[in-house]
Formats: sequence, structure tokens, C-alpha cells
Amino acid sequence: MNPQMQAVIDNRVAIINSFKEELIKRLNLPYKPEDLHEDISLLGAGLGLDSLDALEIVLCVENCFGVKIPDENTNVLRSINTIVDYVIEQRAKEGSAQ
Amino acid sequence: MRVSPLREIMLRNGAKFVERYGVETPSLFSDTATEYGYVRDTVGISDFSYMQKFSVPEESGVDFLDGLFAGNVARVRFGRILHTFLADDEGYLLADCYIANNDEEFIVLCESIVDDSELNAVLNRRGAKEAGLENLCDSHVVLGVDGYKAWAVVKEIFGSDVLGLPYLSIEVYPFEGGEVRLVRAGKTSEFGYLILAPVSLGGKLFDTLLKTARKYEGGLCGSDIHNDLRLEGRFFNIFAEGARVRDPLPLGLQWMIDFDKESFSGSGPIKERRERGVEKKVIGIQAEGDAEDLKPGSSVFDDSAQIATVEATCFSRALSSRIGLALFPASVAYSGLDFQLGEKGGCKIKTISMPPIMPKSLTVKLDEI
Repeated sequence: MNPQMQAVIDNRVAIINSFKEELIKRLNLPYKPEDLHEDISLLGAGLGLDSLDALEIVLCVENCFGVKIPDENTNVLRSINTIVDYVIEQRAKEGSAQ
Repeated sequence: MRVSPLREIMLRNGAKFVERYGVETPSLFSDTATEYGYVRDTVGISDFSYMQKFSVPEESGVDFLDGLFAGNVARVRFGRILHTFLADDEGYLLADCYIANNDEEFIVLCESIVDDSELNAVLNRRGAKEAGLENLCDSHVVLGVDGYKAWAVVKEIFGSDVLGLPYLSIEVYPFEGGEVRLVRAGKTSEFGYLILAPVSLGGKLFDTLLKTARKYEGGLCGSDIHNDLRLEGRFFNIFAEGARVRDPLPLGLQWMIDFDKESFSGSGPIKERRERGVEKKVIGIQAEGDAEDLKPGSSVFDDSAQIATVEATCFSRALSSRIGLALFPASVAYSGLDFQLGEKGGCKIKTISMPPIMPKSLTVKLDEI
């Protein structure tokens, strides 16, 4: 595997692992981190989390990564992967702003 | 081959049919573009009578069902539904199932990748007769109402309190002198309902649903477009990636399992595989260009090394490109990576986060209507 691809994976894995561990702890989910597929639907179907849990997810992201998810941006909360994409995107914006 | 009790009605409405695992289902009524539009923009009515349907008394059924299915049936509250699966003794998928606690009965709705006789044999071996399991396949129909305006159709027919039904819940409603069981569930990522009705009410229910759907410029949908909608919304499809991969763990179905349960069908092998660690995972891919070669069984390459196999594909109208699911080694099963289809020179494939679309239904708050 080329080093560029490995770097993308490493960056993503670091975010995924932090988020999953925090999510499992905050929501007392009966799963190990490796049980949570990154595409699983968080709200409604899949994990079946509700609107109160959604608030916890938003706080989890803020605590883990210092990234705020605006109230109207429910699009981001579709899956672990879409949340990770958002974190990476926001970090890149902050990076280029500096 | 089992056919729908509504077959003649479907045929009169232009249905083409396909056989899946010994059961016939309407696959297409008009064209996939039109049927896609019905679900994503208005409402689609579908014949889901291909599902295997059972009822069992709650008292005798709870232990039977809990010992069979991967999820925790005993914890399903009155009026709520568990989405789980049935596995064989080796822990490989047989059916994708909804189990509904409907007061003094459980209703079980299955999409199975074995035929009726094999599924019935599995259930009977596990004590179906003793539990009082009743097969509803010939006595009942299931009609689906899916789409951005699905809530409007069921509200018009069953009343506005239907808007209060949470996702994965069941309620009984009167209809034409009888009763139907309305389930709020669906796999398109838009609003969805399944209505389980006795055959005697099936024709009238279908006519009423279709007439009401047409008021909202909706229409009939077949299984072909449901396959595409499921993939686009990243809903598990046992008829696509499920039938090819069969192992619930690489498919990411751990959320359907209660690992704390002592046992269920296939629990030993599933728990062993979980302990060993999942070596492969199914993740989303998107292809550049026409990508006509992107189909189940195609190989994904990293330069000259084959790295993954495509397990499901569709043309995503929301993204205007072909998307799919592919089985990758877990070490590289992450979105944002570039590969190609076939050896060097094949069309470019990118791994993507799923679901790749934002369904219109997520913008609607039913409790504010």
C-alpha cells in the first residue's frame, strides 16, 4: 500500500476510534468498538438512537474533536462515517484558515 | 413457487414478475426512473406479499422466538418492533426479519434467502408447532407504502393519529369492516409503512392505497427499484449483499444482535467469529463514468493486486453515478481511498461514506404536522 493511502487510513482510524469509544461510554451501548460498522445508521434505523441521543452525539463530537455541529445540520449525523467526514472537513478548513 | 394473493391485480396493473427463492414478486410496473421518483419525491405502493409472515401467541412465542433470532425478542415492548435476523446453525444468514409485539401476539415478517419449505423446516425443528406458530403466507397480504409523502397516504386512510407512530412500531387499525396491522418500517430511507391485511381485504386495501397515492402523484413500485433504493440509503438488503456475503459480521449487522443472550440460532459460530476478529468488511464504493462493468462479482484492484469483490451495485439517481458495496480486507475498509475496477486502466473506484444521500423525509418532522 502506498504511504499516501496509509496516511489517509491512519488519520481516519484515529478519529473513528476516539469517537466510537466515547460514544459507547456516553450512551452505554452494549457493543465493542469493532462491532460498530462506520456506515451503520445512528438515528432511527440501525442503532435506533433518538433525539436525546443525538444531542449526546453532538456533545461527543465537540468534546472529542473541538468541532461543533450546527443544530440544523442533521445531515451530518447519518452515520459514524458522515460524522468523521465532517470532522476531517472542519479540521481542514481550520487548518487553511490558519 | 408461491405467488402473491394479489397477483392478478398486479398483472392487470402492468406488473412484470421475478422469482426469488421460490417466491414470485412484482419487479417492475413502469420504469425504474419513474418508480424511483415515486419513492424519493412522492409515494410508492408495493406488493410485499412475498415476505414470509407468521403470528405466534405472545405467551408461548416469546421463548421460541428469542431462542431463534439474534436480537432480544423478550425486550420488545408492546407496540414495538425488533429488526433482526435468523441465521443457520453455522451462523450464516437465512432471513432478515421484523418481529412485532402486537399485544397478545408476535407478528414475524421475514425476507428470506431460502425457500418457504426450508424456512418452515428450520422453524419446525426449533419448536414452531409447540409454540403455536401460525403461517400467514396464504391468508394475508403485505402492502408497502414508501416515500416522502407516505405519511400523507396512511393519514388519509387511517387517521391522523398514525402520525404519532414511531419508526419500528405496530398498531391495529379498522379497515372496511375488518382490521389491518400497520407497521411503521421501511428500507428506502424515506417514510415507510407495511400493512399486513387478510386476503379478503387485500384487493380493497390495494385499490384504496393506489387511489390515494395517485392524489399525491405517486404510483406502483416493484422490487427492482427497492433494491436500488436500499443500496442508495445503505439499508441492508438480504437479496443483494446479504445473499452473497451471508456472514452478518462483515456485513456490519452487529446492531441486530444481542451478544449477551445465552443462545440463538447460529450464536456459537457468530460469537466465535466475533472473538477472532472480523477480517473483511463491506463498505461503499462509487465509480467514475458509466462503469458498466461494475456489477456483483467484479474485482476491485489496488494497482495490479486484487483487493476486493463487489457484492451489490445500482445506479444512484441522487448521485448520477454507479455505486455499490464491496468486501474489503478490514485493514483497508475505509472511505476516501482510490482503487480501480479490474487491472490497471480500469475505471476508477473510490470508497465512500454511506449513506451517500440525504433523504427528503429527514427534513420532515411528523410531530409538527
